[in-house]
Amino acid sequence: MNVIELQQTLPQVFASRTDIESDVWLKDVRLERGKTYLVEANSGTGKSSLCSYIFGYRKDYQGTILFDGEDISRFNVNRWVDIRKHHFALLWQELRLFPELTSMENVLIKNKMTSHQTTAQIDEWFERLGIADKKDAKIGRMSFGQQQRVAMIRTLCQPFDFVFVDEPISHLDDTNSAIMADILTTEAHKQGAGIIVTSIGKHMQIHYDQVLKL
Amino acid sequence: MNLVWKLLRQHISIPQFAGFFLANLIGMLIILLGVQFYTDTQSIYNSEDSFLKDDYLIVNKRVSLTGATSSFSQEDMDDLAAQPFIERVGAFIPSKFKVKAAFAIDGVPAFSTDMFFESVPDEFVDVKSKKWHFDEQSTTIPIILPRSYLDLYNFGFAQTQNLATLNEGAFSLAKLQVQLEGNGIKLQLEGRIEGFSGRINTILVPESFIQWANEHFSDPSTPEKGATRLIMQVNNPTDENLARYLTHHHYITDQDKLDSSKTNFILRVIVGIVMGVGIIISILAFYILMLSVYLLVEKNNTKLENLLLIGYSPTRVARPYQMLTVGLNIMVLILALVILFFLRGIYLDMFKGMFPRMEIPSMMPAVLVGLGLLLLVSILNIVAVRTKIMSIWKRKN
Repeated sequence: MNVIELQQTLPQVFASRTDIESDVWLKDVRLERGKTYLVEANSGTGKSSLCSYIFGYRKDYQGTILFDGEDISRFNVNRWVDIRKHHFALLWQELRLFPELTSMENVLIKNKMTSHQTTAQIDEWFERLGIADKKDAKIGRMSFGQQQRVAMIRTLCQPFDFVFVDEPISHLDDTNSAIMADILTTEAHKQGAGIIVTSIGKHMQIHYDQVLKL
Repeated sequence: MNLVWKLLRQHISIPQFAGFFLANLIGMLIILLGVQFYTDTQSIYNSEDSFLKDDYLIVNKRVSLTGATSSFSQEDMDDLAAQPFIERVGAFIPSKFKVKAAFAIDGVPAFSTDMFFESVPDEFVDVKSKKWHFDEQSTTIPIILPRSYLDLYNFGFAQTQNLATLNEGAFSLAKLQVQLEGNGIKLQLEGRIEGFSGRINTILVPESFIQWANEHFSDPSTPEKGATRLIMQVNNPTDENLARYLTHHHYITDQDKLDSSKTNFILRVIVGIVMGVGIIISILAFYILMLSVYLLVEKNNTKLENLLLIGYSPTRVARPYQMLTVGLNIMVLILALVILFFLRGIYLDMFKGMFPRMEIPSMMPAVLVGLGLLLLVSILNIVAVRTKIMSIWKRKN
């Protein structure tokens, strides 16, 4: 997958609004593999909706979304499973971790499915993000900032053409934000993938090829 | 431990699944017991020493007080032969002349009696003998007596008169002087006892003899009458269609075999009712299982959704619950078969006491029915779980 295109896309809940001023909604947007994008948004402008649409999780939008020229609304279950497993990684704002499992298990539950990262690599990321001592801690007992780091590691445990991170550093200090940014960009460059970061204020300090206001 | 299973086993309610297990076990056991019990009882019906089995029936019409004919017409016989539960029909032909038989010991007549002969087509005769034929050159008539005569002599007459008991072989050595008389002719022939029949209760001679003798000794002016007794070979004397047919045509049989058809019919009804109860319990058990699984899926809804969102396929996510239900079904079947094996042992012991020569059928019918049910229920479970998981996928998709 090389290009994501949004053509005149708009969440259906905004359909009656006439005051939409956005670089994304009701515009033709082209996101290319290998490039980095920042989507800046205020609360309630449909940032998480955008993630859900591109990830095939929700369909309540008008307009068209295309992957390499193909309308994603026609994709079947198997196609979406393949995309989520091999082409598109997403760090959800609400993380979607499993509180019953430990932080390491949360990462392994994905890595065992994809067999993408080595244990050494995962250990190194835990180490660098300062949560090595929390590997065996249940997610439910960790702070949201710690959980964000675990979720980021899990997001990277798969091959991808694009990685979409939704407010990844909202609860992180600058040091950890920088480490996370470095891990993310390194991994994305390794795979030649595109990066899409969303933010409602504090955003990752990396070089963006394009900044889009939502 | 498999992490997906570790996640999805959350909220599994042991009491609910134990309830399903028990209910399904009872339902399955009742169904399998019904199937196996029916198979086992059919084996008694079909065993060689069975009181219920007799492939041959002798029928006659009810003798009416008005003197109406009690003989069978050709149409009656054709209709009987056309019934699917009757294989073939043969008529008894009586002798139409006088028969006098004298039993001689050492050439001295011991006693003499008037008697009669009857014949049936040779294929209905249960005593197999190469000498069972007669032609005009013969001077000896082969005769078959009812086995009850032999028993009457050995266990009745001989006992009370202090005479030696005789076996079948000894009787065949005895010579009978048979005198045929009719149409103004007398003829002296020798009778030889060929054997004793448990099937046909008459003094039997070859059909060829009766035809020849009736031709020569009967009064030509006597009108021809149809047969008054018929012998039939039937597929299954316990067939209730046979009993219904005979009753409908007011035919009576001198044997009690047809009662077994009623017994068998009632047995089938009872087994049917019992199995119906088993099936209802099984359906309810299936319902409990489905409710439990649906509840489980509802409770683990978020987990399932998150698994789907991190790249797990619906097939992979559904598998643990599918394996859980199929696993439970398999355990139920195995346990039901084990319990059935022991229960069957108890009633088979009783059966064997009553019917020592019965063949013990295998448990294959119960195993096959059990496997069939397992397959059916498991497929329904698999489809239901899959549908439920797909509803999670589609809810927001």
